[in-house]
Amino acid sequence: MSNTDQATLAATQSQRPPFYRDVTVVKWLAQVFTLLLVVFALFFLTTQALENLDRQGIEIKYDFLSIGLGSDLREGIDTDPDTAGRALWAGAVNTLRIAAGGIVAATILGVLIGVGRLSSNWIVSRMCSVFIETVRNIPLLVQIVFIWALVATFPDVELDQGPINGLLHVSNKGVSVPRVHIDDGFYQWLIFIAAGWLVGSFVKRRQERRHDATGRDTYPVLSFLAVLAVFGAVGWVAHPIFGWVGAIFDFIGDGFSSLTPVIVQVVLSLAALAAAAWWIRRFLARLRTPAGLMKLTDDDKFRIIFAGVGALAVIAFVLVGWPGLSSWIINSGTDLLGVIADKFGDGRTGRPIDIKAPDVEQVGRFPNPGPAGLNLTQGGAAVFFGVVLYTASFIAEIVRGGILAVPKGQTEAAQAVGLRRVTMLRRVILPQAFRVILPPLGNQYLNLTKNTSLAIAVGYSDFVQVGQIVYNQTGKTLEVISLWMLFYLACSLTISVVVNFFNIRMKIVER
Amino acid sequence: MTATMGDPAAGAGPVEPWDGERGPAQKPEEPSLSAGEWLGRNLFSSPVNSLLTVVFSLLVLLAVRGLLNFTFSEERTWRAVKTNMRFLFTHAYPQDQYARIWVCVGAIAVLSGLSVGLLARAGRGISMKKLSMNLMATGGVIALGIVLREPSAIVDDEGVALHRDASAAGGDSFVGWLDANAFAVLVVLVLANVALAVWFHLQGTYLRGGPEPRTAHGALVLVSVGVLIVQQYATGEVVRESFADAMSDRAWWWLAAALLAGAGAALWLGLGDARRRNTFVPAMYVFFVGAGVMVLSAWVYPWGHYGFLEGEFINEPGRTVAMTTKLPWTVMLVLLVATFELGRVLRAAGAGPKLRVPLNLLWVLTPFVLYWAVLRDPDLDWDHVLSTDLPMAVFFAAFGGLVVWFLAHPRIGEAGRVIAVVLVAVAALNWVAAYFGWYPMLQKARISFLLLAVVALLAHNFAGDRAQRMKLVAVWVATMAVFHWLVTLVNSPSTVDTPTDALIGGFGITLIVAVFTLLLAFPMGVLLALARTSKLPIFRVLSTAYIEVFRGVPLITVLFFFTLIFNLFLPDNMTLVDIAGATIGFSLFSAAYLAENVRGGLQAVRRGQYEASDAVGFTTVQRTLFIVLPQALRVSIPPLVGQVIATFKETSLLAIVGIFDFLRIADKVISAQSEFLGVKREGLLFVSFIYWIFAYNMSKHSQRLEKRLGVGER
Amino acid sequence: MSVSDATTALTEELAARDDMIVCEGVNKWFGDFQALDGITAVIKEREVVVVLGPSGSGKSTWIRCINRLEAHQEGRIVIDGVELTNDLRNIEKIRSEVGMVFQQFNLFPHLTVLDNIMLAPIWVRKKPKGEAEELARSLLERVGIPEQAEKYPGQLSGGQQQRVAIARALAMEPRIMLFDEPTSALDPEMIKEVLDVMKELATSGMTMMVVTHEMGFAREVADRVIFMEDGQIVETGTPEHFFTNPQEERTKLFLSQIL
Repeated sequence: MSNTDQATLAATQSQRPPFYRDVTVVKWLAQVFTLLLVVFALFFLTTQALENLDRQGIEIKYDFLSIGLGSDLREGIDTDPDTAGRALWAGAVNTLRIAAGGIVAATILGVLIGVGRLSSNWIVSRMCSVFIETVRNIPLLVQIVFIWALVATFPDVELDQGPINGLLHVSNKGVSVPRVHIDDGFYQWLIFIAAGWLVGSFVKRRQERRHDATGRDTYPVLSFLAVLAVFGAVGWVAHPIFGWVGAIFDFIGDGFSSLTPVIVQVVLSLAALAAAAWWIRRFLARLRTPAGLMKLTDDDKFRIIFAGVGALAVIAFVLVGWPGLSSWIINSGTDLLGVIADKFGDGRTGRPIDIKAPDVEQVGRFPNPGPAGLNLTQGGAAVFFGVVLYTASFIAEIVRGGILAVPKGQTEAAQAVGLRRVTMLRRVILPQAFRVILPPLGNQYLNLTKNTSLAIAVGYSDFVQVGQIVYNQTGKTLEVISLWMLFYLACSLTISVVVNFFNIRMKIVER
Repeated sequence: MTATMGDPAAGAGPVEPWDGERGPAQKPEEPSLSAGEWLGRNLFSSPVNSLLTVVFSLLVLLAVRGLLNFTFSEERTWRAVKTNMRFLFTHAYPQDQYARIWVCVGAIAVLSGLSVGLLARAGRGISMKKLSMNLMATGGVIALGIVLREPSAIVDDEGVALHRDASAAGGDSFVGWLDANAFAVLVVLVLANVALAVWFHLQGTYLRGGPEPRTAHGALVLVSVGVLIVQQYATGEVVRESFADAMSDRAWWWLAAALLAGAGAALWLGLGDARRRNTFVPAMYVFFVGAGVMVLSAWVYPWGHYGFLEGEFINEPGRTVAMTTKLPWTVMLVLLVATFELGRVLRAAGAGPKLRVPLNLLWVLTPFVLYWAVLRDPDLDWDHVLSTDLPMAVFFAAFGGLVVWFLAHPRIGEAGRVIAVVLVAVAALNWVAAYFGWYPMLQKARISFLLLAVVALLAHNFAGDRAQRMKLVAVWVATMAVFHWLVTLVNSPSTVDTPTDALIGGFGITLIVAVFTLLLAFPMGVLLALARTSKLPIFRVLSTAYIEVFRGVPLITVLFFFTLIFNLFLPDNMTLVDIAGATIGFSLFSAAYLAENVRGGLQAVRRGQYEASDAVGFTTVQRTLFIVLPQALRVSIPPLVGQVIATFKETSLLAIVGIFDFLRIADKVISAQSEFLGVKREGLLFVSFIYWIFAYNMSKHSQRLEKRLGVGER
Repeated sequence: MSVSDATTALTEELAARDDMIVCEGVNKWFGDFQALDGITAVIKEREVVVVLGPSGSGKSTWIRCINRLEAHQEGRIVIDGVELTNDLRNIEKIRSEVGMVFQQFNLFPHLTVLDNIMLAPIWVRKKPKGEAEELARSLLERVGIPEQAEKYPGQLSGGQQQRVAIARALAMEPRIMLFDEPTSALDPEMIKEVLDVMKELATSGMTMMVVTHEMGFAREVADRVIFMEDGQIVETGTPEHFFTNPQEERTKLFLSQIL
């Protein structure tokens, strides 16, 4: 290398470019600027809202939840709730009920229609396409309102008319079918079921191993079910022996309520710090090479700084931003443990589960479906059938796509190795189709859950409708809307977690 | 998957959307089966198949019969829909200003005609064979419907059906017996089919593919149809007309069925040889003929004249529709056809590629102009316009033009960046000043400064020679002109006097909200998708949080937030009307979903495209605009259309937040009118039908696009 | 003239030229894996260097570091007197001076061949459109496919696509061309047409750095061959020296496997 080269090299050996030309710095400046912009906008909106509320003499407080509510709900676990909080809880249960029932019904219907659309029978496949194309191209809300108007034309409910204590009761008040009641000893009975599940899984695994070893039919699934049934049957009579479980929860609850807010604050702060430390350690571990830690680039440094700053922000929020958080956690935790302790409490000796047929009763001036049966009111029926039909049409398309996505070669290969049709479907086609179907199916479950909120248009007492009653009476619109969003975010998150769990399991099966 | 560069075989197929006029490989028509063979193969090929056919055809017939009886029942008050047509589509928009509505419809007709004529691929169109078969099938279905429907009830002068004593019901022997035992008879018929299926199966007839099963099963199905028809003529409590009367009453329907079937048959026979049946007519012409027949019928057929004007119900059956309806629609159709033909002529002259951009721009601008200028008829305060608005627009056009001219110089270098940052600081300062109230400034000036700052930051990406810089300046001046003009219009009060907050209601507001939602949500969705796929962590986290939160909550809660309490979050002197709040809510919500669709497209762009763009020295902005987005958007067109449909359907939620949209008129307004108390189902069915027509056609179009782009094909 | 004489002559001749690419102790890791291990090399003006080595030896990573498609983590890379650092201006400058051709061509599928070539000169070099088009057409002429200008990449054969890619890189009027296995994705009958273009480019005096498995090309065109393994430069020399008398065991093993 000549001297001149050395000179040019030396000349270009500038330590750093000026910051406004440094790629990393510019990138991070742009990001921080955007972050500040967002924070500033949120800050601006919040201060504005607080100012406006202050001027109107309103405070953001959630104490309305423990204040009485002056009106009844049309249906749910508690139609005459003591407090707004209790009313919202009843609404939430209604939402979850209709969502859970809807998911099951829509899945069954959707799969049937999706398979029907692939049928070789011209009329069947045509009917299924007509159903899909009609239902999914009309807004769900229009369908719900229409079903509601349709139910309104059903015959009146009368004491002497229609089957009282029958199996099915249809009227302009809605639809009633027999109902499974969770009765006195249910939760203690659940302990038996859980134990049965554990033992059953153990037996199942053993049977599977015997099958693998000897090749004989050992019926692992049947054995599992049999064990579960035995435990269930024994528990049906024997469940009161678990009366002492409630005391344990009482004990834990006592311990929890004796915590001081400071301890909770410290624990939360430490958790935030630990999370940041864990992230930074993992981040550095990835940069570690056999030759030692790599030189950190500016980008890496920025990331580490942001992790630390994030943790500090969480701590600041816990300590300064919302000091009441810790006592709120303590109180609600204690309450929750108290409720659980009660459910497992002593002296619950009744049957775990009870089934009752629908009835009609006259309380005030008009006869109504009574509490024994499972009642879908006019609004409930409209929402339920609306979301089920609508979602089923989407699920049908997903199922059809999933089945079509399995290459034809798979069927041929399965036939070539001589699998029977049922085995082929169960072991070859369905697992592959299911992998394609599952993620969009999860999305549909999410949509269904969110769509139940349209109940507000037909007056079904779901979480949103009850929320509307609450803010109409208390004027706490902002608080109610925040509760709505939190509730649905929690639902969505739960569904995503469940779907992801199966998704991952599917992927492992693949290998 | 998209086309891959390394795989010319894949690139040569229909996978390549960007290769001009090439369509998918043309598939030859399948050889025709005889009717018997078709039945045997598709409906009666095995015992199970035959039974499915029997059971499901019975179900179809029952459903169709129920629907027909429901629709044509004397208890239906379709007059409620006919009378409230204007309410349904525009709600309280004043009658004397109605010409404005027609101007809007006309503008859209002109643009659609031009676009379709000029830009749309002609495609193969509809084959004559398919057309004639569809016509004949429609005629046949109508004929079946005519005989399947129950005889009309005889009504008194009030329109109430006459009843007879319950004791007299059931009258004539055979029909009465059939009516009483219809269910049992049908069950017996199905069982007979089961027996037949078992018999043929044991005989092995299905495997042989012989004609017996289809004949026998088919005959039994026909008998079932007969039962379903005859049963309707039993004498019930309601006094109904006789068979002969019913058929002669439905003479118009017979005529329609005969005309359709006749036209189909004429096409089929007139184009006797198979070759000509495979000729194609453009789909647009079929549409024009259909629309033409409808418009013509408005002049000829006594649809009746109904209306609800100035609180008066108009009820004149037995005459043709009002001149104020049929004349504008005729003009609209003529406009559509004329502009379509004009478009074809221009296309033939080779003007297509040149007019594509201006036409698309017009489409984007039209909603703003139609809503703010035409429908609202703003009352401009000319003093203010001349003293403030105009000078301000001129200032920003000139000043910004200069800045752009200077910053787009190819060798501007560091100085450009410094100037851009200064402009950003000025723009930011204006907003901070607004917060602290340091100095007053019109909101549009702040926005103009912000726009200028953004343009200044981006200018060096588009630097070039003189011509290029002139173009940039022209674009800036035009943007400023349009922006300031629109803001001035928005700030001027409307002279159109409506009783509600909203200018227009019904289907009009549904469309307007949907269009503005998409116009706002689309750019946001693209930006969010870019941020979510970005390598920069803060952008990614912010965008992910936004998308997941909005996808995790129901739309209705978002709408409540923006219509009920969003005004709390605004400064004192600002309020948003419900409709604006709702549109913002819709947009923020849709943007999250659009972002996910665009993200799918972005992930389909291969890494090599990014590397190649970097290697030739593109900046990030240039890479995104010229290379990544064109490819990503092309891939995500089908899901994007899906999202457009979803947004269109979601606008029905406006009814819940108290806006007089399409659904609310049918659900709440009509059923509260003194003439039509409690009449809901008719209006709701009509609303469903209109929504369905729009959504169905969009989804069909998207499926065609999907096929053409080869997306989702493996 | 013996091999060593030739090497000496070449070294002297090269020493007089300017440095185009200087690498000093360049290190790069992907997680635990060290892709480049102390790469030190100088490539002179108008020199054609072929980089050989088994797959996974870091050839592509090195060449991609040179126009910063990957960032190196330690050491220095200086291109034509400009050091490759985080400096925006330097990166812009280097990218517009270094052309790159990829194994997978990476043409822009939504643009015509002509637009593919014109886009960068217009928007990066800020050339007027007419001038850029003229340049693009002359380049297409040079790579031998002037008649394909209006087609889309998907309609061309692999060899034609790769020639368009070379034309696209040349349109930026680079001083250095990098080739990352330009013929590996091609059918055998198309390899020659691409190699011919590259040979023509080499004789015209372009500084070239080529990662390839085409030994014939290395022998015929290269001024120098660099052999890499495990992220290190194992051996450097003229083609004659390299193919006839390799010094290192690893080089011998490699050559015995492929020749």
